Amino acid sequence: MSVLEVDKVSIRFGGVQALREVDLRVGEWEIVGIIGPNGAGKTTLFNCITGFYEPTSGAVRFRGRDITAMPVHRRTALGLGRTFQNVGLVKNTTVAANLATAQHLQTEYDAWTGFLGSPATFAEERRISERGALILDLMDLSDVADERVADLPYGVLKRVEIAAVLATDPDLLLLDEPGSGMGPEEAHALGDTLLRLRKEFGLTIVMIDHHVPLVTRVSDYVYCLNFGEVLAAGRPDDVRRHPEVVRAYLGEPDQPAEPAEPVIPGGTAGPLSTQEGAPA
Amino acid sequence: MSQTLDELGVAAVTGTLQGAVYALVALGIVLVYRASGVFNFAQAEFGTTGLFAAYTAKELWGWGYPSAFAFGIAAAVAMGLLTERLVIHPLRNAPRVTLLVATAGVALTAIGLQFWQFNETLVMTMPKIDDSFFLVPPFDAPVTVQQLITFGVLIAASVALALFFRSPSGLAIVAAQQEPTAAELVGISVRRVSMMTWAMAAVLGGLAGILAGPNTTFSAAFLSFGGGAALLPGFMAAVLAGMRSMPGAVAGGITVGIVEQMGTLTIVSENVPGARAAVLFVFLLAVLLVAPRGIYLGKAAVA
Amino acid sequence: MSTTEETATIPRATGAPTDAETTAVLAPVPAAATPEGRWRPGRAGWLARGAVWLAVAWLVLALPANQLSPITIGPADVDIASRAVIFAIGGLSLHVLLGWCGQISLGHQAFVGLGAFTSAYLVTDLGMSFWFAIAVAAGFGAVQATLLGMVSLRLTGLYFALVTLAYGAFAENTLFGITSLTGGEGGKPAARPPGFESPENYYYLCLAFLALVIWLDWRLTRTKGGRAMAALRENPRVASAYGINVRAYTLMAFAVSGIFAGIAGSLTAHHDEIIVKSSFDFRLALTFVLMTVVGGLRSRVGVVIGSAFFAILEEGAFVAMVEGLIGGLGFTPTFFESVIGLPAEFVGLVVGPILLLLTLTLYPGGIGQQIAPITRWLGGRRFDRHAGAVREVEVDDVRA
Repeated sequence: MSVLEVDKVSIRFGGVQALREVDLRVGEWEIVGIIGPNGAGKTTLFNCITGFYEPTSGAVRFRGRDITAMPVHRRTALGLGRTFQNVGLVKNTTVAANLATAQHLQTEYDAWTGFLGSPATFAEERRISERGALILDLMDLSDVADERVADLPYGVLKRVEIAAVLATDPDLLLLDEPGSGMGPEEAHALGDTLLRLRKEFGLTIVMIDHHVPLVTRVSDYVYCLNFGEVLAAGRPDDVRRHPEVVRAYLGEPDQPAEPAEPVIPGGTAGPLSTQEGAPA
Repeated sequence: MSQTLDELGVAAVTGTLQGAVYALVALGIVLVYRASGVFNFAQAEFGTTGLFAAYTAKELWGWGYPSAFAFGIAAAVAMGLLTERLVIHPLRNAPRVTLLVATAGVALTAIGLQFWQFNETLVMTMPKIDDSFFLVPPFDAPVTVQQLITFGVLIAASVALALFFRSPSGLAIVAAQQEPTAAELVGISVRRVSMMTWAMAAVLGGLAGILAGPNTTFSAAFLSFGGGAALLPGFMAAVLAGMRSMPGAVAGGITVGIVEQMGTLTIVSENVPGARAAVLFVFLLAVLLVAPRGIYLGKAAVA
Repeated sequence: MSTTEETATIPRATGAPTDAETTAVLAPVPAAATPEGRWRPGRAGWLARGAVWLAVAWLVLALPANQLSPITIGPADVDIASRAVIFAIGGLSLHVLLGWCGQISLGHQAFVGLGAFTSAYLVTDLGMSFWFAIAVAAGFGAVQATLLGMVSLRLTGLYFALVTLAYGAFAENTLFGITSLTGGEGGKPAARPPGFESPENYYYLCLAFLALVIWLDWRLTRTKGGRAMAALRENPRVASAYGINVRAYTLMAFAVSGIFAGIAGSLTAHHDEIIVKSSFDFRLALTFVLMTVVGGLRSRVGVVIGSAFFAILEEGAFVAMVEGLIGGLGFTPTFFESVIGLPAEFVGLVVGPILLLLTLTLYPGGIGQQIAPITRWLGGRRFDRHAGAVREVEVDDVRA
């Protein structure tokens, strides 16, 4: 049984069909990449999978269980972890506090009894704090544990975010542009980290990214989206060379090259190859 | 039963006229909200300030009514510009909740100053523009000329605003609200637009205060929480207008006025203490839970 | 679920790159503040801190109750001190909503008022003991606040503020106007519990409850409930991604706020020994907001000090104190009145909102931020002039 199944999911916002009958399947321990030009619907798809949007039609299944209408926090409880494009952390507190908050579901006392001060909570707090420190150590972040998130550089925050999502004890990790803002060396290192995490935690990973070399190297399977539809799906090298995919990124031959769709600021179109006329 | 019917009729008339004041306040609230996304809690205090200034000019300094009126409006505008300069502009990037608290602070400052300056005369009165009144058949609803004048001013203000928003300056305000950067690039000074907006809102508030004050006795915080409490009803009217529509604000003000008068019906006021506050609360809750986007949306398309 | 110890054997999907020699070349962490081990004050440092702590303890515990004190303050002033303590509890109550949870309540006096009338009614009409009454008041406060909280779930922040404003007026005029329960215009008497009738003893009673409330608030922030609230205040999406049920914890914040407010209400009722509904008017509502914001939205100590300050200000006692001081230094005692023309009873009304505006525009952390260097120092850390500087990061105002 696949870990994640997206079954003909469509979603519409007013007049815009953001996703059109998207099918996606992720098997146990796979790393699946999702690529596509800006505005293709990748984050929208993530939002449907994680519960921030509810699809207009279609279904999302996690280990066979229909979660299409399940609230976000319950999906986290089931084992879906997710990162955000603009770094989803609680910025006004410390890294360690974020790790503690992320372990909300693992904190085994009831909020009210904790508030009223039962002795068990002290022991539990200590355990949570130690577990958080362990995870930070794993990600080489012990030095910044007591730093305020808002004070830290972007690259470090990307790793903190991964640490936080690991703290939620996920089975399935959904990473939204984990490589954004990274140069080739950093992206390569990120790839190593992801492979290591998969191995050490037994994770299944789905990632959106524009770093095609990263996605190609690390993924077992790749989907390319455009205009809310799955353009191509298959082995990374096959997808990369697929004519539709090339056209989506580069435009039609024999025509003045134009971008696949309107320029949307933010996010690079990725180093597929030279892109004339592609959004800068 | 027929008594209730009579009362209903009176309530409708009184409510409509009282609603004119609320509508003026609501127009100011909607104007500020459309221009800067701020819930202006000081809107009614513009009115009290204007009223007190006019009162000072007329009763204490012996000016004539028109000059005192103008002076009152000027005072309100001064308050509006000061608010914009000292509070709104520095906080322009702050979260909206902060700005709400800040405008509440402005209102409180004004109230504090009023208490300070006018406490010897606990209760003040100001003559109406015209003292006559008459009873309107068939319910014998009392209608004062002052109220009719207020209503007339409301209509005039609405028309003026409508025309204004077709003019270049008015369009500049809309542009600056929707796309401040683009507006700046085209040569619109967002700063001046902001000041203009607040000045206009202050005029609307001032009108409400100076016209409503003579209807009753007044003291500090008159238009916000005192005898002429128009802040909450004004906001409710603005909510009915979806916080966007000027004509909606007028319709909303009148609606709230009438609804509030329902609290004065004998069957209600006998059984429910503080009926007016209760009626307003229930109505607000109902509107926000059922139709939070507003009811009187008119042509104000959602941007 | 796997832990760091377990390494799963992964069936290699075809084409997947090998990861046998994973050399995770992670980017080096920038040299942030490398703590060279916790700094500890020297002996002189401890002595100095101890002395200040003692002074604070004396100021709070002994002075207002005329114990171990060179000066004797009159019973009216002891009552003012009690009032300040009660205000502090009220401030902490609103602080839970506004500071920890980001919800604005412009009708908070209604929560306190309900607690006050509940307690008065139970003691006077039903003959219950004070202790039972205050517990019930806390419970009713929680219920009332939770109901309002459910409304807040359906509305964005600014609209909810309007609802609280309307609710405050509704409570003051209608709820507290139900004559059978609240005694109408005449008000409701509320006797002090036996053993605590004297001003000094009642002061200690209030202080004890303040300590309880502070402890509970501290517990809240140290546990999952408080962390959940902090997260959902700043970024509800991230909070729910962390597994936090945003709705449930919002309601929890309201409930806790209501508990504190109920306690404050009950203490108020028995402090004044008679309560009337007009005490719970818009001025009180806005004073609450004032003292919490000026106190500092992230600082418990700041809120306590700010609330106490506003309570004293309102009674004109602050002015009396300042003028006494000035008079002692040889200046004209009626400083405010003669120099600025501001009579004592209005200083609070004018100064308060101005402080609010100053806080919002110039000193966003309020009193809490200003005294942070001192509170940190007292906590055993090195004195740092810049401690506590509030650098609020702008996050998407999702609710408004």
